[in-house]
Amino acid sequence: MTAVLESEVITKTFSGIQALSDVSIRVDAGERVGLIGPNGAGKTTFFNCLLGILAPDSGTVQFQGRDISSYPVHKRARAGIGRTFQRIELFSDTSVREHLLIAERVHNGTGAFWKDLIGLGRPRRDEIDRCDDVLDLLGLLDLADEPIEALSLGQGRLVEVGRALMTEPTLLLLDEPSSGLDRDETTALATTLRAVQAEKGFAILLVEHDVELVADFTERLYVLDFGSLIAEGPTASTLAMPAVRHAYLGNLEVSDG
Amino acid sequence: MTLALIGEDFVRALLQGTPPGTVYALIGLGFVLTYKTSGVFNLAFGAQAYISAAMFFKARQEWGWGIVPAVVLSVFVIAPAIGLTLERLIFRNLRTASAVSKLVIAIGLSVALPALFELIADYKPVAGRTPTGIVPDGSSVFYDPTGVYPFSRDELAQIIVAGVGVILLGAMFRFTSMGLAMRGVVESPRMTELAGIPADRVSALAWAISSIFAGMAGVLIAPRLNTLISNDFFTLMVLAMAAAAVGRLVSLPGAFFGGMGLGWFIAVFNTYLPRWADDHTWLEPFKDNLTPSLPFVVLFGILVFWPAIRRAVDAADPLSGVDPPPPALAATTRHPLLTLQTRIFGVCFLGLVGWLGFTQADVRWIALLSTATVLSIIYLSITVITGFAGQISLCQGAFAAIGAFTVFQLVDRYDMSALTAALIGAAIAAVVGAIVALPVLKLGGVWLAIATLAFAFFFDAVIVKFSWVGGGESALFSGTQVPRPVIGPFDFGESDRAFLALAVIVLVIVSVAVIQLREGTIGQSLRALRSSEVAAESIGISPARARIVAFAVSAFIAGLGGAFLAMLEGDVNYPKNFSPVAAMFWLVLVVSLSARTVEGAIQAGAAFALFSPVILEGSFLEWLPYFNEDNLPGIFPISAKWRFVLFGLTAIQFARHPEGMLEFGKRRATQKRNDRYYARDAERAAAPEAAT
Amino acid sequence: MADTPLLELEDVTAEYGPFRALFGVSLTIHPGDAMALLGSNGAGKTTVARVASGLVDAATGAVRVDGVTMTREPTYRFAQAGIAHAPEGRSVFATFTVEENLVLYFRRSLGRKNVPAALDEAYTLFPRLGERRRQVAGTLSGGEQRMLSLARVLVEKPRLLIADELSLGLAPIIVDEVYETLTSIRSSGAALLIVEQHVQHALELCDHVALLDHGTIAWTGPSAEAADVVVDHLFETGSSS
Repeated sequence: MTAVLESEVITKTFSGIQALSDVSIRVDAGERVGLIGPNGAGKTTFFNCLLGILAPDSGTVQFQGRDISSYPVHKRARAGIGRTFQRIELFSDTSVREHLLIAERVHNGTGAFWKDLIGLGRPRRDEIDRCDDVLDLLGLLDLADEPIEALSLGQGRLVEVGRALMTEPTLLLLDEPSSGLDRDETTALATTLRAVQAEKGFAILLVEHDVELVADFTERLYVLDFGSLIAEGPTASTLAMPAVRHAYLGNLEVSDG
Repeated sequence: MTLALIGEDFVRALLQGTPPGTVYALIGLGFVLTYKTSGVFNLAFGAQAYISAAMFFKARQEWGWGIVPAVVLSVFVIAPAIGLTLERLIFRNLRTASAVSKLVIAIGLSVALPALFELIADYKPVAGRTPTGIVPDGSSVFYDPTGVYPFSRDELAQIIVAGVGVILLGAMFRFTSMGLAMRGVVESPRMTELAGIPADRVSALAWAISSIFAGMAGVLIAPRLNTLISNDFFTLMVLAMAAAAVGRLVSLPGAFFGGMGLGWFIAVFNTYLPRWADDHTWLEPFKDNLTPSLPFVVLFGILVFWPAIRRAVDAADPLSGVDPPPPALAATTRHPLLTLQTRIFGVCFLGLVGWLGFTQADVRWIALLSTATVLSIIYLSITVITGFAGQISLCQGAFAAIGAFTVFQLVDRYDMSALTAALIGAAIAAVVGAIVALPVLKLGGVWLAIATLAFAFFFDAVIVKFSWVGGGESALFSGTQVPRPVIGPFDFGESDRAFLALAVIVLVIVSVAVIQLREGTIGQSLRALRSSEVAAESIGISPARARIVAFAVSAFIAGLGGAFLAMLEGDVNYPKNFSPVAAMFWLVLVVSLSARTVEGAIQAGAAFALFSPVILEGSFLEWLPYFNEDNLPGIFPISAKWRFVLFGLTAIQFARHPEGMLEFGKRRATQKRNDRYYARDAERAAAPEAAT
Repeated sequence: MADTPLLELEDVTAEYGPFRALFGVSLTIHPGDAMALLGSNGAGKTTVARVASGLVDAATGAVRVDGVTMTREPTYRFAQAGIAHAPEGRSVFATFTVEENLVLYFRRSLGRKNVPAALDEAYTLFPRLGERRRQVAGTLSGGEQRMLSLARVLVEKPRLLIADELSLGLAPIIVDEVYETLTSIRSSGAALLIVEQHVQHALELCDHVALLDHGTIAWTGPSAEAADVVVDHLFETGSSS
């Protein structure tokens, strides 16, 4: 297996408080990896360091063997890191298909200024077809012309996934995709994601607080607490570790039946 | 030269710089006070100050009131009344609106308020009637405690009020719960209410206090001006923005010392510059233009280099989730039938206007239509930068002027073809636009607006004065003449009608280009950025690149339009057409009609050119059978100032309808018909199924 | 149990724009009661807390405080009636310092004289806040911001304390301390309305439980009986591990 993403000893302090210390993770091609931890453990900070929204104090981010630590956010996206948002971030006044089209065309670099000017910047047939393929895969084709405001939260999250997929990512970062969704919606999302991943073959890094989704969906797990990794390994055995149960699950007993 | 001598010069410079420094400090404090207590970057501050000053002036000079009652009326009655009205009617409902929306509203107010006051109070600025201050003999009695520089009573009054003001206001924020409560309401009215504090009352009080301060500043500053004109107040306010920027809009002492520092810096600079210029002859040509440019250089320097401003982030209300999301404008896919109808109507309408314009119109109407057409071109530049990119640029007038001056200079010096010169001018404007935008793009929002406003005034105060731009002294006699183009057999200078045709062709080309850009990848990227910057970045859109392109394109269009405006009038006419304040009205106009659509720009062009002559002067009545030029009803002509009042106040709607009033009305109107067509489609689709 | 309920929600519906969050919720809290609101994500717990403190207006139904109808009164009237609400998440004034955050609340609720003592109490409860009293609240970590928004309601000793997602993001040791304080506040006679993830903790502290499901009350009753109902309810569709 080749590593898609490797973060090495990422450290970040906010006004004297250690938010992350020496966090190193690795995601291999096509793998589904989870990153969990109680609120305030540094998940969001770490996520933002991977994406270039925050600059870590030290440590590097390697993506497909390249050091991308100095890349701004949009260059990391172009390098092949797609993402979704915890609080859904869609473009207002824009249809579902248009969401994917923007991403597709930015990705293809169809946006040369002079092309736009003489009208070649309009979507080509093959671009629309590629968008529709992805929409089909996500089960959104019926909603393609719907304005984004008409969608449910679950569908909106799928649009985010679709938008990210148009940039042909090698790694998809999912930021708490279950937040705001109920159990059934979460299960449906996980099923769709698994199907899409089987088709496209990208790797997934899932940041979550929903233990059940993580247990169900990921193959390997990293657990953060107070800014440090306290456990890593195959999902089932990691979740069973006493340290993890203590930090994350607290006193609440989860039935093992 | 002895050391003592240098010392004395320096001290004199400091003392000399103190009165103007106090003025900057007063205005800077006003900015900070309003921003801190209401979250509005109040560009209407100058307007508020002006109204109190004019009221004071009128009460003293025309009504013969004493100083005390005049101060009470203008500062403690009128000023807070205006503040409370604004709070109650406008800003209370906009607490959660973005800082940029509030800024646009403040710009609208700064256009509307002075005009409204002048209409209601029947006040006219008369040259030569110098305003007096709040102390008797303020400008004629001097005190000179140091023996180096005498202060007038007016200046002392300014210094005392500014000093006491910063201490009192500082104490209010530091020691009273009211100061904390005011800051709390700006950040999160709901959390403040959770503390048991009535947010509405607090923000009303905040507006009352900051308005009294604005009024006080206005009355104090007035004696520095020869004639009370609202534009002068606005200019002073722009100069003082540097002071507010030193305080990062939130620190009162920062604004105070920023203002004083600015005054001292300029005075010291002026003291030593002539000596340096003697030693270094290369400074000589810049000498005259350096002084007026200093406030802008300082402001730009602060914006670009001061890290604290880069870090300044709008604190989001943690309880904003409590408010329901704004009702999403029914984003509808238009029914094809409706689209067809609209297009047919549009073609017929334009055809009719065209036919009337080219066959029936007299000279006056051709001139009006030409102005409308050329202004529409300029306004399309606002469509690009504000409508598409969502950025507030207040220097479109400067970009347009660059186009105009380029034609003037190139034709004058090199006898170049006017059309080629116009294109070169537009290209220069584009380059300048990109250069202006580059360092401040990251700041975004309010700061970008401040930077562009500063550039507009910098251009006005400095660049235009260079002979290689504005023509220098020779332009004083012969004007800045601009010929119309000659293309092959067509001489557009011969026939106004032909020039109108040329302008229409250019407008069509620019409109098509703008629509292409909107539909193309760049336009879509800008739309994505406007809606969610993080999401746009996550699919690989570079915010900086997209916005610089938008700025450059916008400046290009403005430059082209500016060149055509100059050709139309045969002269650049800089003060009338392109001054920063005039250009601000452009923004207000386009934003209040519709900044997002090409039609919006054209309607704004028509409104600017036609509203006054047709509506306010009553010409529309002449189209009716009974009336002619001589028997119009007595209320005509209505003062052209109503134009400012009307559109300025319409801009207030920006926060709720960022797409503009016309666009909003249009969408609502088409909505119903649209629904009906779709319902009919659905019925038809259902009918055969029912039959089977 | 006193006769007049401290807080009464009667058949309350609430909506955020077009989204309805509550459908006919009725709750009664008497002085000295401690009620835990439980339920899955999106069940409407936060909205109930917001209606109870006046942050969200009830669209229909009635809200009464001490028997007085306050249905669409502004939020500050609820606070003045002695209802303190620590909203979920990082509900602090981000541009204020830690101390200013506390002072804004304490000055009104406790009077200017008592502010220093209240500050001392807050810093004893959360020494971390004492160390950072001059720091701007926006730069605190998530957990510290949580402490800050809890500190004020814990020190104010209101008549009714509403805490949303009480222990979210707090280290276990601190959670224990918060619960100790809550217990002592309870014993001094204050009523509690608590939204909590840690079911165990909540059940130990509270004597009443209201279980919310899709914007309605699915079950109410004493906490002694709650454990089984809650576990059944929360996990009926879930866990296969």
